[in-house]
Amino acid sequence: MSRSFPGIAALVDVSFDVAAGEVHALVGENGAGKSTLINLVAGVLRPDTGEMLLSGESIELGSPVDARRLGIVTVHQEAELFATLSVAENMALTVGLPRWGGVLVDRGRVWREARRVVAHLREAIDVSRPASRLSVAQRHLVQVATAVEEQARLVVLDEPTSALSAAESQWLFAQIERLRRAGVGIVYVSHRQDEIFRLADRITVLRDGRRVWSGPTAETAPGRLVELMVGRELSGCNAVNRASTARESSDRAARNAAAPPRLELRGLSSAEGRVQNVSLTVRAGEVVGLYGLVGAGRTELARLLFGLDASTSGGILIDGRPVRIRSTADAMRAGIAYLPEDRLREGICRELSVRANTVLATLDRYERGLLASAARERTASQQQLTALGARYRDLEQPIGELSGGNQQKVVLGRWLLSQPRVLVLDEPTRGVDVRSKAEIHRLLADCAAAGCALLLISSDLPEVLANSDRVLVFRHGQIAGQFVPGQCMPAEVASAALPPNAAPTIPATDSAIDGARAVRRPIRRRVPPSEVGLAIGVGALAIVLAATADNFLTANNLRGLATGASVWTILALAAAPVIIAGGIDISIGAIFALAAAVGGLVMKLDALPLATVPAGIAAGLTVALGAGLINAALALVGRLHPIVVTLGMMGVYRGLLSLLTGGQTIHELPRAFDSLANGRIAGVNGSVLVLVVTIAAAQLWLAHSVVGRHLYAVGASNSAARLAGISRGRAWLVAFGGGALLAGLAGLLQLAQDGSMQSVMGTGYELRAIAAAVIGGVAISGGRGSVIGVVLGALLLSLVSNALVLWQISRYHHDLVVGGLILTAVLWDLVWRKFER
Amino acid sequence: MAQVRTITPPRWRQWSAALAPWLMLLLALALLNAEEVKPRAVMRFWPAWAETGTLAVALTAIMLTGGIDLSIGSIMALAGMTLGLLWRDAHWPIAAAAVAAVLVGGLAGAINGALVVLGLPSLVVTLATMAFYAGLALAISGGERISGLPADFCELGRERIAGVPTQVCLLGAALMAGWIVVHHTRFGRYLFAIGDNRTAATFAAVPVRRLELALYLASGLVAGLVAVFYTARTGAAIPTAGQGRELEAITCVVLGGTLVTGGFGGIGRTALGIVVLAHLEIALQFADQLKITLPGSDSPWQLTGQTRLIILGMLLIAVAIWNQRARGTRA
Repeated sequence: MSRSFPGIAALVDVSFDVAAGEVHALVGENGAGKSTLINLVAGVLRPDTGEMLLSGESIELGSPVDARRLGIVTVHQEAELFATLSVAENMALTVGLPRWGGVLVDRGRVWREARRVVAHLREAIDVSRPASRLSVAQRHLVQVATAVEEQARLVVLDEPTSALSAAESQWLFAQIERLRRAGVGIVYVSHRQDEIFRLADRITVLRDGRRVWSGPTAETAPGRLVELMVGRELSGCNAVNRASTARESSDRAARNAAAPPRLELRGLSSAEGRVQNVSLTVRAGEVVGLYGLVGAGRTELARLLFGLDASTSGGILIDGRPVRIRSTADAMRAGIAYLPEDRLREGICRELSVRANTVLATLDRYERGLLASAARERTASQQQLTALGARYRDLEQPIGELSGGNQQKVVLGRWLLSQPRVLVLDEPTRGVDVRSKAEIHRLLADCAAAGCALLLISSDLPEVLANSDRVLVFRHGQIAGQFVPGQCMPAEVASAALPPNAAPTIPATDSAIDGARAVRRPIRRRVPPSEVGLAIGVGALAIVLAATADNFLTANNLRGLATGASVWTILALAAAPVIIAGGIDISIGAIFALAAAVGGLVMKLDALPLATVPAGIAAGLTVALGAGLINAALALVGRLHPIVVTLGMMGVYRGLLSLLTGGQTIHELPRAFDSLANGRIAGVNGSVLVLVVTIAAAQLWLAHSVVGRHLYAVGASNSAARLAGISRGRAWLVAFGGGALLAGLAGLLQLAQDGSMQSVMGTGYELRAIAAAVIGGVAISGGRGSVIGVVLGALLLSLVSNALVLWQISRYHHDLVVGGLILTAVLWDLVWRKFER
Repeated sequence: MAQVRTITPPRWRQWSAALAPWLMLLLALALLNAEEVKPRAVMRFWPAWAETGTLAVALTAIMLTGGIDLSIGSIMALAGMTLGLLWRDAHWPIAAAAVAAVLVGGLAGAINGALVVLGLPSLVVTLATMAFYAGLALAISGGERISGLPADFCELGRERIAGVPTQVCLLGAALMAGWIVVHHTRFGRYLFAIGDNRTAATFAAVPVRRLELALYLASGLVAGLVAVFYTARTGAAIPTAGQGRELEAITCVVLGGTLVTGGFGGIGRTALGIVVLAHLEIALQFADQLKITLPGSDSPWQLTGQTRLIILGMLLIAVAIWNQRARGTRA
């Protein structure tokens, strides 16, 4: 196998190949291009130029699914999971659900496979538990385990051991050995030298998106590898400049020692041990570099400092005074500024102008009285950006049009305008061109010279060493070492950041890691499924009703309750699939009425004397299905929020309805139709029969069919679904179409029960249906909900309505009670989600 | 990390999106002209549309942040009933009752805001409170309207200031205030930043939560104020007042070109959206008499009032899609 792909800025003209039965290690610093390479292989990204060959054949990967189909399995370092789905289903979804008869999910096999994979692991993982309740380590373990169990030709493992314990790593190594013997090619990305030298047949080193070295493992040694990763020119540079650098830095050190401490951290810790007991002092004018691997606690520390996360213990002092920081606004008031790591996501508002982005944090300074002054904002941003050497066409152009380096200067300018006392820079030069990089470095020095205390977080070792007065190395959330540039070897700093080279077999390490994890593991309690609570609620209400209202148990009331509840339940089942798939359809009330009207009108046609009833039902259902598909198509093609689409279509369907009926009541329908709902078959009311069949069908669809499970996947996480090759478009068509079909069925049932309809039928029903679904445990955010829960939710609502009538509560209070129930359900949803997290 | 890329749409698309509301206004005026509706007759509908428009102004600010408030119609009903009941049963002076009504609106809005700040999607929160507030209005009223409000109070909703109905004056004031707040204050600048990139706004020390609380509170206050004018105009507190107003207000905002996803739009656009929707609706209300004979067809095609919903619904979606496309797509 050989592959080569040059191109993207993050990766320049790199050739890379893996032979069958070979472990090829890919090493490099953070941002060296490893992730890009992996994403290309996994089909997440496409190369700009170059080609990929698999077993000698040129291949083109349009999506992760293509890659998987060709036998390329990738475990990403921080892949998203379907949080609301069970562990077993997560495992099955990433490899494609096992089918039974083509349409249904072979649930037995899902569980068997999951248990089989998990059985190999030392840690007992309950595969029926939702994935959101796994610890980070467990999630990773499950993903790695799933990948190695799969029939693959090429397995790509990105930092597979970063969250695993020593024993789990041992297990993984054995699996890799097994795969290698089976002739599978393995790409192994790791920062851990011991692992690389133990596993790899060959090693390729990437730096700045280029391949700097490639060769058999035997031809290199651990120390040499670090040098290659960090860059040879660095040591050369240092040798020449060491004298001057040392002198300069000792000058600065003397100056700094005299300066007052600007920022002091005392024993700062965060939740889950991401930052553990960190104490440090930064003096005015000092630049302290923070070096370490991704996830070692540097960014996490910055987030604490900037009020983005809450610290669990410890204190922050600025200029000797303790400060409390609970929000970013607090942090800014305390004089702290933070240049975030992920510029696109956390830094810029891409559609807003360069000016708006520059002055965003300091808007209060340019006000004239209460009004904002665009002129002052322009002056301030222009001055700042000129000082930073940012290049842009126009202050009013959207910032998204600028290059990465210039965007970064704008965000930096935003914070310099706030005249911070402490400036935290997180990877300030990532994805920035060389020229901007040098300029940003110069700015840092200027800033320090002006008396600001700087924390420079970077994974670029030469950058850290060249720009810092001191370097602190982070490992596992703690400070693992302190170095002074010019008085140390770069390799020393780099190796301090790597996990200790202790062999994983040493039991002490093992138990230490496990011990630490045991402490961190959150206390888990088994929550009874919401269905149990609901069932109890429904039962209790029924008992109370039977006891307090004489006429509750009369045949008349029960029949009325059953017929009413059957319509409501089907309508709630109509609302559920769309919400589960992460959408919402507020036109189901209109579709409900439209289907009934079309059905009724067709039945009254004289042209079909015999088949009128089946034709009417078919017409009503067809129209409903069509309406649902149109909703989905418009939301997908127009890239609109479903609420806007269904809001508009609600009007359209209602309009069509009144056009069709001309505002007239539809009545005098065939008797056969009436008896479908009100007659009895084997002593069972027709409506109830329809309900039971519908519930069974919905259960089959949502819980047991592949398309049904895909709705959950899409609703739980669209990005994870995309990686698993599940299209949201198809899922939405199915969800909206199926939901509308059920709404149409409910409408026809209502028509059959009443024997007549008016065009206002079903007004406001969509809200109650959605409410019933939410009460039944369907998460509005998508991905969670069950048929039985929805049925219970609808039943509860129906019982409440019945109770209000029986207790002779004014009908004007009914809406209030229902509204209160909906509100309770929403709050319940919130509490539930908080708990799940 | 997958790269986020902006594909800049062609210029003509951006142009045409800006043009769309004007074309619709032309269409509405042409319809009115074809029906030979007198300006005086059109003016009769204006107070009601000005009320909706005032709601749309507050809604624009919320939608700029990517949020939505579906409960404004229900808040109107609740505030109106508060006014009526305090006046009739608690014998409050009508002015005090009106102030209380506005405050009740504010309280309802604050509850929305608090729930949104807790981390619930605004759509879900206001969908729930929409049902709850409407139910509350119905429950406290016992389903009956309260009429016989003092005549001088009713004047407030029927009077003209320099020939302009008071509601239109209110709308004018709301548009002016909204325009200043949204486009000329720090608060307004923050709205756009939150709507564009909420995370980045938080990272830029924008007080996102406090802002959202203020937004929904303001929306509730405006709904309370509109309820006072509406009650004065109809001369009675009606428990089902305001039903469907939220949808009309949203349509105004979307027709104007403010994006539902937030970050782009403004008060001027909404002003145009209000004028367009109002005239379209008024034109369609007169449309029963309108017959259009298509070339090559014998029987005239009659536009009826029932077609109104269809046309408006399709316009809403078409314009929303067009605007979304004109602003470029993120892939």
